[in-house]
Amino acid sequence: MSRVRYGSRAVNRLSRRRVLAIAATAGVGVSVAGVTGLSLASETTSAKDDGQPLVISLRDASKGTFDIFSGGSKSTLTDKKLAARLLKAVKR
Amino acid sequence: MSSHREAPEISKDPVADSSDLYAFVSPDDPETVTIIANYVPLQLPASGPNFFEFGDDVLYEIHIDSNGDARPDLTYQFRFRTELRNNNTFLYNTGQIKSLDDPNWNRRQFYSVTKVDAHGKSTVLAAKLPCPPCNVGKISIPHYESLAADAVKKLKTGEKVFAGQRADAFFVDLGAIFDLGTLRPFQNKHLVGKTLFNYAGKAVNATDKLNVHSIAIQVPLSAVRRDGKKSVRGRDPGAVIGIWTSASRRQVQVRQGDKKNADVEVGPQVQVSRLGNPLFNEVIVPMAQKDLWNSLSPAEDKRFAGFVEKPELASLLPVLYPGLFDNLAKLNKAGTPRADLVAILLTGIPDGLIDNFQNATGDTKADMLRLNTAVPPAKDPKAFGLLAGDLAGFPNGRRIEDDVVSISIRAIAGVTFALVDETFKPDAAAGLVEQGLSIKNVSSGLLKKFPFLGTPFDGFDNP
Repeated sequence: MSRVRYGSRAVNRLSRRRVLAIAATAGVGVSVAGVTGLSLASETTSAKDDGQPLVISLRDASKGTFDIFSGGSKSTLTDKKLAARLLKAVKR
Repeated sequence: MSSHREAPEISKDPVADSSDLYAFVSPDDPETVTIIANYVPLQLPASGPNFFEFGDDVLYEIHIDSNGDARPDLTYQFRFRTELRNNNTFLYNTGQIKSLDDPNWNRRQFYSVTKVDAHGKSTVLAAKLPCPPCNVGKISIPHYESLAADAVKKLKTGEKVFAGQRADAFFVDLGAIFDLGTLRPFQNKHLVGKTLFNYAGKAVNATDKLNVHSIAIQVPLSAVRRDGKKSVRGRDPGAVIGIWTSASRRQVQVRQGDKKNADVEVGPQVQVSRLGNPLFNEVIVPMAQKDLWNSLSPAEDKRFAGFVEKPELASLLPVLYPGLFDNLAKLNKAGTPRADLVAILLTGIPDGLIDNFQNATGDTKADMLRLNTAVPPAKDPKAFGLLAGDLAGFPNGRRIEDDVVSISIRAIAGVTFALVDETFKPDAAAGLVEQGLSIKNVSSGLLKKFPFLGTPFDGFDNP
């Protein structure tokens, strides 16, 4: 599993188990997400965001690339097995 | 229009749609600059029960570049929050509204102001400032002017702010201009119009008697200038600032249907609207790239410079008005890049082209409203601004009364090309062409002090 930081905060201690838990509770968007035009204005997230929903988007199913949106940030992780499980779950 | 619904995507998102940006040294306080960013355009005054408001889910920003790199050295952020007092009524107000905290006013909106410095450090300057209500009508709000005046707030850090409904003071003959580039005063000279008219027409202000939502801020000049100088000379590069506004939305929204309160909005802010110079995205940028332009920073505008160097409108004028723009047609045919328009719109006007004036910000090509803050307010403002020798007018910043449509048409028609090429003789028509409107065609009139834009048209008298 690899992670790339885009936002002001990385998703800390992001385990596969936690991703699955998030996917189960917050819903998983299977989409091709564009990333053009991110605002220059940064918005720092704080500890009070803990417990707030995450949204996960499977951007590239073949590569297992996920975008994880949390608070004011976006992170990316790669997990082909997780992608395959999710696709199976939605019968794709 | 200036930037009302100027791009396909933002035309479907009016709450985030910037329509006009003004920036001028304040005539009511010449040690400050007034910046007004208008959003939510084309509001019909009679709009009950759901009157217009800012978006609680939109980040509105005003950016100021003081060193010419087209990146903000100072940003003011405005975030809004709507509160409902009474869950059991369909009404905006259940009685007369006589104060900003009147219990009869059911749906109120508040905002915060955050200052972001060049290093990205954010400071909340104010929280829960009240917006005035929309101008429902004189039965509901008998003293609207004083109520709106109460919503002007002075911050401890020196800025003055206002956010709320105002009358739209932009004037444009939209119906004619986008009917094959017709200017009614010249309709009988138009390629098609001359087959229909044998007389000059009278222009119509398409945006009259419509309202907008304005974010206005008055900032001490020393706070926006490079190095914080209180006094600068006009030739000092530090006298010039670049200004633009933007609106952004969270990258992701998840709607939860009946569980409305559980809707999710997360992720980085994604810019959906931008405005610097009036008409830039509207008239210069091709439709296929307008949405892209709205998503970008001015620092990216080099990629649009080609459209400024060879604007489509310049090639259309000789065709639409046969025989009136022959010199422009020759200039077009020669393929000479329009260095005059590049200076006006992308780099600022360098010293030496206009007597005692410059508003250059350097080589970085960026669409920003450029203001030389050392130029004091004009005692007798001219609608044609710099073209009329009024150094305090567009394209040195932009005042509300500047006829930016006519100024832009004349510039594109070639009057300003002579500034960069003395051998070029502009067509006589280039110095005469105009849309035929002025601030006198704005029925609301203007205020003499901040926030300057007139009282919004009320719903009762403007059904």
